[in-house]
Parts: sequence; C-alpha cells; structure tokens
Amino acid sequence: MTVGSLGVASPAWLWLLPLALLPLVATGRRRVRVPAVAAAPADAPSRWIARLLRGAGVVAIGGLVVALSGPYGAGAPVTRIGIGAQISMLIDRSGSMNETFAGRQPSGAEESKAAASRRLLADFVGARAHDLFAVTAFSTAPMLVMPMTDRHAAVRAAIAAIDRPGLDYTNVARGLAMALSQFAPESSGSRVLLFISDGAAVIDPRVQDALRAAFAKLHPNLYWLFLRTKGSPSIHDRPAGEDTPQAAPERHLDLFFKSLGVPYRAFEAEGPQAVADAIAQIAALERNPIPYTEPRPRRDLTGFAYALAGLGLFLLVLAALAESDLFAGSARSRASREQRLDPDLRRAA
Amino acid sequence: MSRQTVLQSLPLARNLRGRRFQALALALVLVIAALVVPSLPVTRTGVAVLAVVDITGSMNVRDYAADGRPASRLETAKAALRRLVTDLPCGSRVALALFTERKPFLLFEPVEVCAAFAPLDGALAALDWRMAWEGDSRISAGLYRAVEMAAGLGTDLLFVSDGQETPPLPAGQVPHFEGEPGAVRGLIVGVGAYGLSPIPKFDDRGRESGFYAETDVQQENRFGPPPADAESRAGYNPRNAPFGAAAAQGSEHLSSVREGHLKQLATVTGLAYAHLDGPGGLDRPLIVAATPRPLPGRIDPRPALGALALALVLGVLLAGPLRGLARRITPLTPTHRLRFRKA
Repeated sequence: MTVGSLGVASPAWLWLLPLALLPLVATGRRRVRVPAVAAAPADAPSRWIARLLRGAGVVAIGGLVVALSGPYGAGAPVTRIGIGAQISMLIDRSGSMNETFAGRQPSGAEESKAAASRRLLADFVGARAHDLFAVTAFSTAPMLVMPMTDRHAAVRAAIAAIDRPGLDYTNVARGLAMALSQFAPESSGSRVLLFISDGAAVIDPRVQDALRAAFAKLHPNLYWLFLRTKGSPSIHDRPAGEDTPQAAPERHLDLFFKSLGVPYRAFEAEGPQAVADAIAQIAALERNPIPYTEPRPRRDLTGFAYALAGLGLFLLVLAALAESDLFAGSARSRASREQRLDPDLRRAA
Repeated sequence: MSRQTVLQSLPLARNLRGRRFQALALALVLVIAALVVPSLPVTRTGVAVLAVVDITGSMNVRDYAADGRPASRLETAKAALRRLVTDLPCGSRVALALFTERKPFLLFEPVEVCAAFAPLDGALAALDWRMAWEGDSRISAGLYRAVEMAAGLGTDLLFVSDGQETPPLPAGQVPHFEGEPGAVRGLIVGVGAYGLSPIPKFDDRGRESGFYAETDVQQENRFGPPPADAESRAGYNPRNAPFGAAAAQGSEHLSSVREGHLKQLATVTGLAYAHLDGPGGLDRPLIVAATPRPLPGRIDPRPALGALALALVLGVLLAGPLRGLARRITPLTPTHRLRFRKA
C-alpha cells in the first residue's frame, strides 16, 4: 500500500492505529482516591505535564503500530541512459546444431556448433550491463524461451540449455516472427535481431509479406550468424542448376534479408574462432544509447517509527518512576510539592 | 526546596517494584532492542525443481473453469505454475522444459525465483501448445527422460501431464523404467477432470476446427505382438489379421485425467503424485515431495519485539480502567469507601 511516496509493508496493522487515542481516555498511572477534586488547587505546570504524558502515550502507541506496519519511502524507478540494445536472439535448435563444424558427432575435445555458441553467447550476455535480451528457439515450431529481460542470469540459464539434444527441422519463418514479437514496440533504443543457425529453409511466400511488414515496423538491425558446416553451401554460392529457394535456401534467405530494407549483416562462421570474432564485431557495432530504468531501493522508515515510540515510552517510564502518592509521602515533603510530580492526580481522583 | 529533596521525596524503591513501571521499562527495552538488533540469519527450506509441462493436444481439453468460463488444462497448469513460482521461498530455483512426442525439451536451466521472477513468469505465461514439434504423446517415455534430465541438472522433478498416451500403450503395459526408483525425487501432477471430455482439433493454421472423432485417433496400439486375447477376437487370423478383423473401438478421442496410469508411473519412478484441482495449491505437495534444500534467509525480529512492546503498553493503559470496571461490578462495603485506597 502506498500513498504518495510513502507506503507500508503490512497495512493490516494500521487497523490498530485508533488505539493510539487510548491515552486520552485512560491513564496508566496509579489511581488515588481523594474525597474532593477541589482539594487540589489548580496548577498550570501539572496540567502541562499531564498533557505531555498523554501525548507521550499517543506517540508511543502510534509509533509502535506504525512501526509494525513497516513504513517505507517508496523508491521511484529512475530512467537513465546507458550503452546497450534490445537484443532478440533466435537460436536454431535443429538436430544438426549438435554436430561439429565438420559435420560429425563431437568426440573428445571437439565442440559442437551448439556448444560453441553456448560458450560464446554466455560471455556476450552480461558483458554490458544495460543490454536487454530475449531468447527464442526454433526447430519445427518456434519456442519462446525467455521474454525480453534485463536479468542476465536468467538469460544465461536459457543460453546454457542450447547445446542439449535438438529437435527435428529448421522452420525459419515462424521463428523469425516470434523473435520479432519479442521487441517492445513502444520502447526506444536500438533493436537487434541476432539469428543463429546452421542452415536455412524456404520462407513460405504467404509468410514473407507478414515478415516484411514486421521488419518495416520494428526496424531492427539484423545479424545472421551462419554456422557453416564444412562442405555445405555458403551463403554466396550459386547452385549449379536452377537458382531456386529450394535448391539454395541459404542464398535465398540472405537475399530475402537484404531485400528487407533494414541494416543487415551476415557472418559466416566455420569454426568457434570465427563465431567469437563475429560476436565481438556485433558487440562493437551495437554501441547505441538505450534508456533503462533503475529502481531506487525503498527507504525503510521503521527505525524512525521505533525511535519515536521509544521517545514516548521513555517519558512514560520516567513518569512511572516519579509517581508518588498524595498522602503516603513522609513528613518531610508536602503534598503541594508532590502534586507537581503526580500531574494526573486531579483526573485520577 | 532543592531538587535533591524532591528526588528524595519520591518513593523510588516502591516505584521500581511497581508492575506498571516494570512493564513500561520492558517495553522501552524491547523498542531499543528493535532499533539495534540486526536481522537474524535463519535457514529456510527451498526447492530446486525442473518443471516439465505436457503441451500435447489433450492438454487443450477445457475441463477446468476459471472466472466462470471453461479453461483448458494447459491454461490451468500454467496458472498453477505461475502461482507456484510466487509461493516458493526466495532462493528456490526452477528450470522449465516442454514435453511432447517422447522427450522433454529444456527451455532454460534453473533460475532463482525472486531475482529472475519477471522473465520466469513471462516464460511460463508464453507456454503454448503451438510450441509442440510433434503430435505424439508418449508420456512414460517422456517421464523417464525427464527423470534423467532432472538428475543431470541436480534438481527434483515436477511433471505436469494428463497422462493420456498417444498412441495408446501396447496392451496397456507401462514400459520398463531403467533408472533407480526414488533417485530423483519429485511430483507428478495429474491435470484434467475425472470425466471424459472432447479434445479440440486445430487446422494447420492453428485455428480450432471442432473436436476429434472416434475414427480420427488410434484407439489401439497395433505395433508389436498382438495381445493375449487376440485369438478370441472376431475375424482373427494369425497372419492376416493378428489383432482381429474389426476396427478398434474405444474412447481415446475423449480425454480425462489418467490418474491410474500416472500413479502407476509414480510408483515405478519413485515420485509422488498429486491431482491439480485448480490454479493454486501446488507449493505444498511439491515441498513435501521435493528434496528440502537449505537456503540462507534472514528474519527480521522487529515485528515480534514491537508487537510485544505494544501489548505491554496497552496492558498498562488498560489495567486501571479494567480493574475499575471489575470493582464497579463487585459491590464495595461502605468502610472501604470511606478510606483512601492506594492502588
């Protein structure tokens, strides 16, 4: 519960706040019966002390109730500008990603394509504090792994899962659509779509238009990290026969990306070192300012409330210590003197 | 009169013995303690769990209700998991995997539920049957692999499924579990109502197009050797019709939670079983079934100290009026009234 910039952690305690009015009607001091109130003369200091002690009681109870409710000064989030980008990663989880760059099952010290990207991407995530990341995986169907977030530990946990056994096929189009949907359309800052795959597929002409529209609307910088297996066709290879998307899907996906009208670069990596270089280049290119919000921590005000309650209690303790009876005093002191120290006498009587 | 005489005139010794002074002084000590005592380290019990969610077709059956509207099993399971993430103590870790076909697919390794709450909640909210890469639903195979995956991650397992095997198991026999039962602890959560409901069907654009009919799905598994009763079936021929001549009939196109099957799987793998009654209450059975993991936590002693101090102050304030009330109820003798009474 917050009111303005102040809030309490457990507002239910505040129902007890009316108890703070109790000292106005009940006194915690000793009751002494006197035959007549008029027996005590009117005394201004006594009246003031009575008011002070009543106030102390209100402060003590009120302070304790407020302290129990856990008051805090709300920390408003502050928007700052840092260096970073919204990076939506689209990662191929088809079965071939678990092979090495030589197209074999990894053995010994060999590293599969997925393991290499896992290792290198894990370093990339969190290298800059203000990057936002989203992770989408795809094979036959796209899978939203992690929505756009600044929690780099969670993103690394998602990256850590990408070298597990993959699934069946490479269905690029739906993966791209989901990766684009991860960008927050209203937020500013540069957007990066990092597409990591070891193959390509034909994009259904029906989906092409929808993808073009989404790219035009969001205008992300597109990077394709193509993990090329030895002996497989390059992005730039023209097929020997007919030049159709079915014959050379990689080349035609590249052509499709070039036709989108967004900043686009393709990196063809044939080994872990090339992947590392490509990632370093992408990091160097994406040096744009990004607004980010930093939550200011709330200020705990419980201590103040306890200190206030302590002050009130201290006065009450002093009063309890200074109580004395009107007629029980010894002969060496007179009643008028004690009256001052027992200010509630008139009321108590 | 000097200050000293005033002080001397006070019955200090008597006041120090007075109940009200002692109560107020104790309250003051408690408040001072609340100001200076730091939060105390305690050990709490958390969990580390791999949540595997069945996203096969039968999870689209709408046999739950939310806000007076039918809700699908998957929606209810997602809501339950999101609630679970909120309810788990900070420091607990959750990994998420999908299940369809015959294996779990790990989306992310364990993340801490408080620091990574927003992305974890978002990932759970985004779970969709459209993420499925194949239509089969071999629950037992998927469960066995999920147990292996949880062992590899060093977590417990939370397997959320309705237990409907597609295709049906040959002769209803549960496949052999090769792992050690109970090596991985955890919970199988049965999702779905106990009565049969139709399974929604979707076209290739992902739009709902009716329900599965009896002839749309495999009613009997006819791979492998025929069942023992095959010889008594109509039209049985050992070579040409080892399963009988008639088309298999059954209710595989309808779905209910296959609690018997899931409980059998739970026994085989040494996991616990719980039925999901609604989008909540998953934390208790999970914490009971899972390995307790000690988490460093801190407890703030201030509320206890403050509440005690408040009780003492209120007691002091109310003691007088209450006693007065009691006195008014019990009639007093006139002699008492004539004397000055010291309370």
